[in-house]
Amino acid sequence: MSLLPIRLAAGSLACAFVAGGSVAADAHAVCGDRIFPATLAIDDPGVTDELTLPTAQWLPQNSGGVGELDVSGSWAKTIFPNLTLSAGTGPTWLHGPDGFGWDAIDTELKYQFMCIPGLEFMASLGFDVSWGGSATGAQTSAPNMYSPVLDVGLGFGALPTSMNYLRPFAITGEISTTTPGEAVWNGDQFATSFNWGFTLQYSLPYFNSHVGEIGNDFVKHLIPTVEFAFSTPTANAASGTWGTTGTVQPGIVYMADKWQLAVEAVIPVNGASGHGAGVVASLDLFLDDIFPDSIGKPIFSQSLPMFTGARE
Amino acid sequence: MTRISFTATAALLAFACAATDAFAHAQLEKAAPPVGGTVASPTEIRLEFSEGVEPHFSGVTLTSAGGASVPLGAAKTEASNPAVLIVPITKALTAGAYTVHWHAVSVDTHHTQGTFQFTVKP
Repeated sequence: MSLLPIRLAAGSLACAFVAGGSVAADAHAVCGDRIFPATLAIDDPGVTDELTLPTAQWLPQNSGGVGELDVSGSWAKTIFPNLTLSAGTGPTWLHGPDGFGWDAIDTELKYQFMCIPGLEFMASLGFDVSWGGSATGAQTSAPNMYSPVLDVGLGFGALPTSMNYLRPFAITGEISTTTPGEAVWNGDQFATSFNWGFTLQYSLPYFNSHVGEIGNDFVKHLIPTVEFAFSTPTANAASGTWGTTGTVQPGIVYMADKWQLAVEAVIPVNGASGHGAGVVASLDLFLDDIFPDSIGKPIFSQSLPMFTGARE
Repeated sequence: MTRISFTATAALLAFACAATDAFAHAQLEKAAPPVGGTVASPTEIRLEFSEGVEPHFSGVTLTSAGGASVPLGAAKTEASNPAVLIVPITKALTAGAYTVHWHAVSVDTHHTQGTFQFTVKP
């Protein structure tokens, strides 16, 4: 799920997973030998029961030119083993008078339709809605925003063992479009945008269990990661807001058995994306592992159709 | 971060730590022969997971560099530690590279799998 931010800046495009909005990390995912961690800007390609609380992001100067602090939480619940419904929200503080507001509630229905274990490849489709009317205070100036989302992930474990040191690598990617329910809302113009990004990860847990033993108990739980997240207006953008915005987010994930902690720098790619490096951190609790017999298990045990690459 | 967030987070972490009957995906923490290691001909494969595993639903296959399957005994967990899966190797291994394929089902039925190599020295 992406908590699509509603920005205060009048007349600005108002969406996406770019710098300067509330953020949400999302569920980890398992396909074959690969465990994809929850990443902060780009959703992972799987579904599971997970509580992300909190995610906190600080930006010294967002795209509107003011300091910003976002705190958010989200809960993903499996309806079927490969279908989740998630919801999240949280407060945002903008530096200056009247800068506080509660972000719009964001929901996503997400269907994992593919996992090919031997290739460590998985994919999911989601439909995300940011409910504009649910925001408060400084965050109220936006309509509903609708975003179909495609998430994919590929581990490099299928590489030959002669390339063993490359096998812990994985990439994930996400594309979506965000369309406002109303192109003009309270006198402000809201763009339709194309959102795109990817992550590059190097899993030391994977290294430890597939390539070579890592003696240090802390190090073998780390996953160095860099995320790239961009948004490009495609229609109805206000004058001066047609450029692509985005962030590069290098960081690290510590993955334990039942939770993970991720910390990343947030580096805007241009002046329209913000100024100065911020930081984002997130704690994820794997409810499927913590409460496997109650709130952590799917409501219905039968999976929806999923392509696995297996021959019948 | 708000006081509510701190309180909620602390409570949830307490849940996570206190849920002693709950288990996670069993991840391979340590192996003997070691992942990627070189050893004398081993008599067993010992896999230490992050969580307890069900031996009846967990297992190991071992193949030589040429792809030949190596006969193994029945998998069992260590009596004192259900997170350790032990599989006897029923005949001495000749020198060369071997590949271990393992699959594990933790006691909460989560499935994990993995592959690694080790080498038997001459």
